[in-house]
Amino acid sequence: MAYLKNEALIDIATFLAKRWSENINTSVEFSDKNIVITKINTNKIILPTITKYAGNDFQKYRQFRTMLWYCAMRLRFCEKILSDDHAFGFILNTIETRRIEILGRRIWNGMDDELVFNYAYIWNYRPILNNVYNKVRIVEAFHQYFIIGDVKGEMSSSHFQKIIDATKYSNKILEEAINNNYGTKWLEKKIPDIIKILDIDSLLTIPIQVKNRNNNLITDNHILQTIIKISNKKQYSENYNEKIFKGRRISEEYKNIIEENIKNENKKIYANEIGIKIPSVDDEDETSIRDVDLINRLKIKFKKLKINLKEEFANVGDEFDFDSYLDKHKPFFLDNITSIKTKIMILLDHSSSIAKNRLEYKKATLALCEVLSYLRIRFSIYAFNTTNKEITCWLIKSDDSKWDDVSARRLSKIEANGGTPLAEVYTKMKSMLYLKKPDIFLTLTDGEPTDPDAVRNAIRSFKLSNIRMAAIGLGYNTLHVITIANNLKMLGYEKILAVSKVNDITDKILNILDKK
Amino acid sequence: MSAINNSELVEHVEYIDWNNSMTLLKKAYDAKLFVLIIGPKGTGKTTLVRKFAPIIHRKLDSINFSLRTRESHLIGSKTLIDGSVSFIDGILVRSMKNGSMLYLDEINSAEADVLLRLDEALDDRRQIVLKESTGETIKSHDNWFVMATINPLTHIGTKELPPQLISRFPVRIKLDYPPEDIELKIIQKYLTENHDEDVKQGIKLANTLRQAASVEELYYAPSLRETIAYGKMLDSGIDKKEAAYLIFGNVYTQWGNIEYQKVNDIITSMF
Ligand SMILES: Nc1ncnc2c1ncn2[C@@H]1O[C@H](COP(=O)(O)OP(=O)(O)OP(=O)(O)O)[C@@H](O)[C@H]1O
Ligand SMILES: [Mg+2]
Repeated sequence: MAYLKNEALIDIATFLAKRWSENINTSVEFSDKNIVITKINTNKIILPTITKYAGNDFQKYRQFRTMLWYCAMRLRFCEKILSDDHAFGFILNTIETRRIEILGRRIWNGMDDELVFNYAYIWNYRPILNNVYNKVRIVEAFHQYFIIGDVKGEMSSSHFQKIIDATKYSNKILEEAINNNYGTKWLEKKIPDIIKILDIDSLLTIPIQVKNRNNNLITDNHILQTIIKISNKKQYSENYNEKIFKGRRISEEYKNIIEENIKNENKKIYANEIGIKIPSVDDEDETSIRDVDLINRLKIKFKKLKINLKEEFANVGDEFDFDSYLDKHKPFFLDNITSIKTKIMILLDHSSSIAKNRLEYKKATLALCEVLSYLRIRFSIYAFNTTNKEITCWLIKSDDSKWDDVSARRLSKIEANGGTPLAEVYTKMKSMLYLKKPDIFLTLTDGEPTDPDAVRNAIRSFKLSNIRMAAIGLGYNTLHVITIANNLKMLGYEKILAVSKVNDITDKILNILDKK
Repeated sequence: MSAINNSELVEHVEYIDWNNSMTLLKKAYDAKLFVLIIGPKGTGKTTLVRKFAPIIHRKLDSINFSLRTRESHLIGSKTLIDGSVSFIDGILVRSMKNGSMLYLDEINSAEADVLLRLDEALDDRRQIVLKESTGETIKSHDNWFVMATINPLTHIGTKELPPQLISRFPVRIKLDYPPEDIELKIIQKYLTENHDEDVKQGIKLANTLRQAASVEELYYAPSLRETIAYGKMLDSGIDKKEAAYLIFGNVYTQWGNIEYQKVNDIITSMF
């Protein structure tokens, strides 16, 4: 079975999190640390990478998905989230978890099986009470008893009575909160009561062992037994323990993700064979290069162009001649803009000359991709840089995948380094180019390749195989722009745009993508 | 020439005037102010107009615009009848002459030349020169009344309406997706049995997908037509989850496996 990569998950995870949280600004990130963080003010969810869960890949995925659901519910229903570092916050979060679960299940009915399945793991991730010391043991016991209705290990009967009382009280206030639509802040005011019942200090430090999940070794049988135990205790959907264990409801979803994953892996293997690499993006955050204003401005600007042929019933078509119509409106070219049928391959120069404008450059290129994808133009995008004298071509997005956060993160990840050995880069790209046969091959460069003659030859041979060669040159002032434009013309590009401000690229890009 | 749109043969169901559109339409009509109805597909724009016509006892002429609509559909064309050439009026000219109610559906799907002729007829003189025929000037009947609908720009195949044409319709009624409880009431009108809880879930799903489409994360948003169809599937005895896949999920295969899968995952977590 293919090893499930985080980047195969990020797209679907972000989509689900946005829908579940009913918030279009929700974003998802992975962390190598074994922690779950939901940031309400920035709408961000940070989850442990998929490898951090127990079980096989499918079981890992199910836990991951449920964890994501809880985080989305937190974003949706919590007014604030306290840290787990001290008893006060830990207890509040414990009760909040149940509150958001109850509210969430009202909408997301289909989660029930997954929640039970997840509880089986949660139960196993909890520490045994005998290994937890001092008053923390009471807090942990309360957590276990409130969440699962049982405790792992032993404790004194006087302590246990406190746990039972605190749980009773917690359930009572929880019910009150649910019935009256009270939120986090209302519950927060009741936490001191619970602290009192438990007879602990609200600032009691909660150790990692209790805060985080403990990866105990567990067998399938163990999980199945726990499922039976839990689903009997809780009034979740029907008592189909086997069914819950097998998780058939989401196995289809999982199969598709795996298939995508394999496709991506194959692409990577192929790309690798011909010397093209793919940046790894697990910990990359692309928000710094996402210029939302710029993107929106461009989208508005190009909105008019977003026209397709509309299929309509020929209810007024008594004399309509479809062929002559199409003749007149040749393959849906609108205002000379590249048709949706055109395939474009873009190559981004990431030599050191870009470095000083790094942020602007990335913002502009990311905005460009957003707009191309918005216009539903088919494109692939690559970049090159040089480290330790070695040229690398990077794949940011292939032409058959969608522009998404993963591609944006890849773009963000690539560093600007080295010279502009364009001919060598073209040679590396050759087999990809001939395989994909784009209609237009567009290079974004500072326009001063180290090997002009070789570049000229490469361009000529690409043109011979019917690929239109286009270039955008970046200069640092008006005079330099003129020089660059001349350079590019000498090199043999058919379509040239030279600018001194990176932002001009996006505004003028469609002129250069015109097929004629 | 028939301008009746087969798919919109209105069922005999009561129209729920949930945001007062019918009342506004009547007021605009009384003041002889032409009306533009704006809203995404399937929010009841056509139904509103069709239900309005009989209320004020008027005949309705309607035309549904597309890229294929031509000037001649509006103005008319020369046709050979029994060996002699005569000019048959198009729907615009006919409606102006008869003073009927003219309904221009999805007017922003029309091509520029078509819009130009509309503009001519709709300006304050309310007349049009038949340059295609004898060159005579047709003045509109006093009772002539015009309503038009436009879909928001995100809708495939739509263009921005030129400002001068927009100004011909000074009353603009917005018809968006209704709130959940209203949508439930509308759907109930089409059902014979009570499936309220299940229908509510379907509406919730539809709204989730509509929201995703509004930020371009999905290529398609389900309309009231779909939520009604979903209700009817429940009526016919189909399980709610299966109905959800049938009506809301499967359509997304059009945009590839991933798009489809995303929507399916949402359905799985909801049903
Ligand atoms: N307020 C309402 N009361 C009763 N039925 C309604 C109402 N609104 C919408 N419907 C029903 O919803 C369906 C879609 O409505 P309709 O065809 O009028 O929408 P539309 O806005 O004209 O769509 P389009 O933009 O695709 O032409 C129809 O079956 C209609 O009867
Ligand atoms: Mg309509």
